[in-house]
Amino acid sequence: MNYDCIIIGGGIAGLTCGIKCASEGLRCAIISSGMSALHFSSGSIDLLGSHSGQDVIKEPYTELNRFIEENSEHPYKKCGADTIKDAFSFFQNEVSAQGLDLFSNEEKNHFHVTPVGTLKTTFLSQQSVFNKKIRDAFFRKPKIAVINIDGFRDFYPAVGRINLKKNRLFKDCEIITGSISLPDIKLNPKNPHEFRSIDICRIFDSYLDLNKISSLISSVAGDADIVGIPAFLGLNNYTVIIKSLREKTGYIIYEIPTLPPSILGIRLDNILKSRYAELGGVFIAGDRVIGGKISNGILEYIHTENHPETRLYAGSYVLSTGSFFSGGMTSNVEKIQEPVFDLAIDYDKGRENWRGQAFFHPQSHPFLSFGVKTNDYLNPYGPSGELIENLFCTGAVLSHYDPVKEGTGSGVAISTGFLAGTQIVQRKTGQNKRDHD
Amino acid sequence: MINLENISFDHCIKCTICTGYCPVAKVTHLYPGPKQSGPDLERLRIKNQRLVDASLKYCNNCKRCEIACPSDVKIADIIGSAKWKYSKKKLSLRDFLLSRTDLMGRVSTFFSPIVNFFTRLSVVKFFLDVFLNIPSKRKFPKYAYKTFRQWFSKNRDSQENFERKIVYFHGCYVNYNDHDLGKAAVAVLNALKIGVVIAREKCCGVPLIANSYFKKACKNANHNIKTLGKAVESSDMKIISSSSSCTFALKYEYANLLELDNSPIADRTEYITEIIYQEFEKGNIPKMKPVNIKAAYHAPCHLERMGSVIYTIGILKKIPGLELKLLHSECCGMSGTYGFKKECYQISQDIGSDIFKKIDKIKPDLVITDCETCKWQIEENTVYETIHPVTLLSRALEANNS
Repeated sequence: MNYDCIIIGGGIAGLTCGIKCASEGLRCAIISSGMSALHFSSGSIDLLGSHSGQDVIKEPYTELNRFIEENSEHPYKKCGADTIKDAFSFFQNEVSAQGLDLFSNEEKNHFHVTPVGTLKTTFLSQQSVFNKKIRDAFFRKPKIAVINIDGFRDFYPAVGRINLKKNRLFKDCEIITGSISLPDIKLNPKNPHEFRSIDICRIFDSYLDLNKISSLISSVAGDADIVGIPAFLGLNNYTVIIKSLREKTGYIIYEIPTLPPSILGIRLDNILKSRYAELGGVFIAGDRVIGGKISNGILEYIHTENHPETRLYAGSYVLSTGSFFSGGMTSNVEKIQEPVFDLAIDYDKGRENWRGQAFFHPQSHPFLSFGVKTNDYLNPYGPSGELIENLFCTGAVLSHYDPVKEGTGSGVAISTGFLAGTQIVQRKTGQNKRDHD
Repeated sequence: MINLENISFDHCIKCTICTGYCPVAKVTHLYPGPKQSGPDLERLRIKNQRLVDASLKYCNNCKRCEIACPSDVKIADIIGSAKWKYSKKKLSLRDFLLSRTDLMGRVSTFFSPIVNFFTRLSVVKFFLDVFLNIPSKRKFPKYAYKTFRQWFSKNRDSQENFERKIVYFHGCYVNYNDHDLGKAAVAVLNALKIGVVIAREKCCGVPLIANSYFKKACKNANHNIKTLGKAVESSDMKIISSSSSCTFALKYEYANLLELDNSPIADRTEYITEIIYQEFEKGNIPKMKPVNIKAAYHAPCHLERMGSVIYTIGILKKIPGLELKLLHSECCGMSGTYGFKKECYQISQDIGSDIFKKIDKIKPDLVITDCETCKWQIEENTVYETIHPVTLLSRALEANNS
């Protein structure tokens, strides 16, 4: 197998890089084992939410330069403010070309509501989570109805209401809660409890009578302005479903991200994968990269779990394997490792310093900033300390940033994915030029 | 007792992402999805076998849950072995007949004109439906007259001239139903200057596993490991198969599900397009004439699970004059014998419905897929001829020779 670029990991960082490379005509393959963290995400895109974990940044682009100055080893520093801006506009254009419009609040941060009614700062959201109408309605102190569907156990409107009321933004809003029973649904006779976001989503996508459901929503929401409902309004037909519910009921329909599987995240995943495929990229979902040969600072080839004897060759490689949960790093009592190439990792050797003071502490956890050590071009260092020139690291596998505290998770993934892609395209065109000469 | 070596279900974090990619759970509420059927219920089954759920039978073993799982839980293996360990296999004539592809093949190829005639009669179909619960809407694959092995033994001499050789596991479908595919595989390999060797083989066991005849599956597996292992032991020959599911069984299911030692063959076994691709990469590409057709490609689940779809696409892209339309990777619903069961027929049709629509929209000259049962499903539900990638490759060669 011979490619211009092989990307290890099919999450948001890997896909952004793949879309960038494929859009420039490179032959590109993504090898991914298991679905990515997008399936656990809110489906909104963060850029920069906070300096210290306690403040809230309103205009991330304005704050970006200061943030980069203060965090000299941060991946954002390696990208630079201009590349970050380019990366975001590239990302927004590409998903929009595939039919998903991400709303940017005139380059200001906005918030999205979590399933327990807390607020998270974010930068781009799907239209059912934030749009101009929602923003304008919010200034009028709207009446909000938070509605669940009977039998869905991953969402509790009453809890959401209590937490929302604690927030000063919602202090003066009237919030009511209620639930409706889906009409005519078929449930597993043996196990009615298996009724998760994906199950309800499929009911919406396939056979639900939207007229009936609209009148049920109206009967609970009464004279509310906004109806908040868990995000399970379809995976395939969501645009039509949401539009139709809005027209039939007259309410603003607001989707609240759910516990996994997160439908909002899966929608974004589907869009990115379709975009990548449309540009001619190859996506290998059922295999895992287990290693490769590095010599003289060049990664020559890699091989996979299912085809250990087959060598996969590429001019450039990208490591986008994510953080601990996605398997991009592993830890044991003694140390932290990068399992594919055993790359050098930046981390605190004292194990007692890995975690923070409390699970939900504003200062977050030190281990979240651990990751692969790279130079300014995102190239990592191999087991014996040598720089690997044709391997680029992107996204959560990188060190020196804390996605939870800073609200930079998807932003770093997109920016570094884009930066890696840009450099790979340059390498390729440079090589072509050299070959030509 | 809990077998501490086999607690991969403990890695399940209940994210339910697998259920999001389960083709069966997508179309029926009767199946609670892989998360629950697999890791969730395994905890209970270990404690008390009476908690075994009848919904296990709805799993079509497509393995898409394992591809989706972010925590590397072998979900389909858990479900598969639960069928084996905990469910009492009821005597079923239908399951027996559907899973004994070897036996049925041997008998049918002998009387193939008669068998093919009878299996197409609506009165026979009616009886099969009523008494055996095989849906009358299903068409049985046609049986060939005589076997592929008989053809091959007549042509064995021509294979002696090749310096490099490969062991070809033809499988039941080639042996009893589609000699042309076997002949195409031989022609293509020969064109790559590789001779073909055939070892003694029994059904790989996929239909036996699917119908919970695990003892018989193990017996066949042990036989194949022994004969194929012997065929390659004194050389560096590879073993290939033109069926994605046979390859999957030989290489993975024997070890992961049947818990047998398949090390003599596991690393040697590859799906046919992978070998062809490697030759192409080395520049060993036979001359081909443009085929000048538009084809839609459907990737079978087990090929997807092995991560081998790239090789098939890779060789297809080398065929001149082929306009290739890749279908979004999803299960076609047939899943071997699954679609031949009355209780699963509608599920099987519903799973495939999207693919049928997409194919119709493309309006291809033909459809390409690596799996014989996907082929049956697509041919039955669309108007398009469906062929194996190697068959198309051989057509490009033939065009060249004439």
